[in-house]
This record gives sequence, structure tokens and C-alpha cells, in this order.
Amino acid sequence: MSAPNPDPETRTVNLFDGELARCPQPVYQRMHAQCPVARAAMTNSPVISRYEDVIKGLRDPELFSSEMDMQMALGTERPMIPQQIDPPLQTRYRKLLDPHFSRKKMIELEPVIRADASALIDRFVDEGHCDFDPDFAIPLPCHAFLRLCGLPQEDLDLFLSLKNGIIRPQLETKSIDMEVNKKARVETGHRIYAYFEDVIDDRKKSPRDDLMTRLVQSEIDGHRLTRNDILDICFLLILAGLDTVTATLGCNIAYLAANPDQRRRISADPELIPNAVEELMRWETPVIAVPRVATRDVEIGGLEIEQGELVSFLIGAANLDEIEFPDAGAVDFDRERNRHLAFGSGPHRCLGSHLARMELRVAMEEWHRRIPDYAVEPGKAPRYSPGIREVMELPLVWPAP
Amino acid sequence: MKVRVDAARCTGHGRCYDLAPEIFGEDEEGHCVLLVSEPAPEQLDDARRAADNCPERAIQLDAAG
Repeated sequence: MSAPNPDPETRTVNLFDGELARCPQPVYQRMHAQCPVARAAMTNSPVISRYEDVIKGLRDPELFSSEMDMQMALGTERPMIPQQIDPPLQTRYRKLLDPHFSRKKMIELEPVIRADASALIDRFVDEGHCDFDPDFAIPLPCHAFLRLCGLPQEDLDLFLSLKNGIIRPQLETKSIDMEVNKKARVETGHRIYAYFEDVIDDRKKSPRDDLMTRLVQSEIDGHRLTRNDILDICFLLILAGLDTVTATLGCNIAYLAANPDQRRRISADPELIPNAVEELMRWETPVIAVPRVATRDVEIGGLEIEQGELVSFLIGAANLDEIEFPDAGAVDFDRERNRHLAFGSGPHRCLGSHLARMELRVAMEEWHRRIPDYAVEPGKAPRYSPGIREVMELPLVWPAP
Repeated sequence: MKVRVDAARCTGHGRCYDLAPEIFGEDEEGHCVLLVSEPAPEQLDDARRAADNCPERAIQLDAAG
């Protein structure tokens, strides 16, 4: 018999456990009851679960730094901007980037993303079935990314392969050899740098009304962003912008397919969708943890953390904390108070949160308008990936018109 | 009832101007701008919802006095 997760005797938790990917809420509830501070199985790094401990950590970049050892690097040659740098430098980059990711800017983008979502649905709606991940959840955020940056929609397949080459290289290499995949990651990193080098050159020569041009032209304290600055920002946009929304869409639709009463409520009353998106983000939290490095020895809830240790702040568990969320174990689309941490907290609040919220709302509105009555294909079960909880297999069926 | 926003805590989640657009606006970076510091009675529920949904706890409601 395998060890329980978490294991209260050793105070360890396996963050790559199948149950944590598939159905994390009971694991989080056991963590709150048995070991709200723990260590990760295998890596032994501290894992923090309580809401109050998590927000304290994320709001204290002096104590918990985002400047990771490059061994954590995902094919990058330098830290990603602004995610892997600390204030005060990070604050200056955010001042420059935030206006391009504000809610106002995202509302301008909304009609074209809605058309993209609808066009994807057009392709399969009459067939009465689809594979939700490859047919909808993967391409939609990629369309949105290309629209935002001002890049050609024909590059969609290229971006999907670049994204996989970094995040899930085994899909591209068809190998489970760590060295093979590490090499593929580095090679993909070079391809991403090379692609954006070309885009930067092009926008310098012929400026357009798009994000890439604005990055080329923007300044921090009177200085233009360097070429490397722009590349390090673009790398982050690919890594943080594509998979996260894909995973959230999959988790949301898988939940609703399995809970027909909730699905019917949304289909009957689309005005519920914004609040449902917030509640499902709390409940599912597809990006389960945020890593930080302790800059000095510190103790949290009785756990001694040493300087230099990588600490996992488990935002998924924080979002199930009964102390912050009364009846945390119930999915309540009418929840009035929801300070969930799915987009983090503190100075590194997700740069793309307004983009993600817009994409999720638009996708849920278009989906339920066109396909109100759907279920998982009988005899099949959704398959969730560990790490970021992407629902990689979600075969759906509905009455064809 | 008075609304106070702690600008140092705000990081631009934008829940307040989503939920209570009559009371909160946004600056160019998406951070909260207080539009109405003493909401009318019919706006109080919205103000409270905004405060209750701010992940940074940057919004305070004080009894006017």
C-alpha cells in the first residue's frame, strides 16, 4: 500500500501525486488538519498551506525571493522578467508592463477573442462531441496570446510546439529520458529567443499598433528596454500565458460536466459566469503552488526553514482554508466573499490576471451559449496532469442539433 | 460610512472596480482609484463586496464619525 498523502507521520506531502492532480481538495483538507506546514516528498523542500501563512510569504519579497537558482530554469538563459526578479527592480518593470495588461486594455481585446472562441466551437459543434483540451482549451489562449502581441495567427502551431518544448518536452521528443528532454528544452529556448529576435528587428524597422512595438519603444527611467529585457519578457508571456488558461478552462468544464446541477445553473443564467469563474478558480486552482527562496533562516508554524531553501507556497491549499473561506469544501457560485489567491498576492500578482479573467469569462459564455448541455463521454474519465493541473483528456459529448 | 484604500497594499487585482464600478475606478496600471469616499446608502452593499473580495485587504470601511 502506498503512503498516505500527506503522510502525517513524516509530515511530508507528495506534490506530484495523482490524487492531488485529479481531485486535490481532500488532500488539501487533510493537510490543513494534519500538517499545514510540511516538507515535499523527494525534494524535502518546505510546503506552506495555511492562507495566512501563504499571503504573509507572498507579500514579503525581502524574506521570500523570486530570484531562483538557474537550475530551476525552463530553457531560459536569464531570469524571466518580471516573474523571477525582486522589487525594487521588479516594480519598475511592472510599472512599464501593467498598463499593457490592464483590464481596460483587455476589454478592447474582448470582441476578437470572443470571435476566436466561437470559430473554434464552429468546427465541432454539429458533431456532438470533442476532445476539449486539443480542440478548445489549448488553441484559445494561444489565439489570445498572438492577438495581444500582434503576431500572425498562422504561427499558432509553431507556438504550441514551442510551449510544449519547454513545459512538456516529452510530448515533442516522445522520450522519458531526462537528459534528452533537458536538451530539447534548451533547444526550444533558443528557438523562442530567435523567433522574438526577428520580431524585435521587424518592429524596430516598421512599428505597428501592437504589444511587441510598444515593448520595443518603451523606456524605464529614460532608458529603452534592452533586447534581452524584451526577450526575457516574451519568454515569460509564453510560459505563463498559455498553459495556465488552458488548464483552468479544462478544470472548469470538467467540474461542470461532472456536476450537472451547477452546469444547468450557468447555462440558464450566464450572468452567474463571472462569479462562477472566481469560485472555480478558488476551488480548482490549477497552478497549485508558487515557489520562493528563503533569504534567511525563518520559522513558519513550527517548521524551521533554512536560508536558501526553495519554499512551495501552496495557493491551492490556501484557497481551501476554512479559516478564510467558511464552508471551503462547497462550490458556491453565490459566495459573497472570495479573496482567493489563484493569481497570487503581493508584488508578483499575476501580470496576466485581467487577460485570464477575460478569456475565461468569454470562453465560458460562448461555450454555454452554444453547448449548454454536455457531459463526459460515457465510459471515459478525465485525465489530469500533475504539476499544473491540465485536463489532458476530456472527451465531451452533447446532443447534436 | 467611509471608504479608505491603502494604495501601498493595492497590487491591481481589480476586483473592486469589477464589483463596484461606481465607487472604484482604475488608473493606467490597473491599480484602484477611489471615486466615492462616502458612498450613498444604496451603494454600501457594493462597497462591502469590493472590500470582501480584495485579496490584498487594501480596502477599509469605517463607520463615519
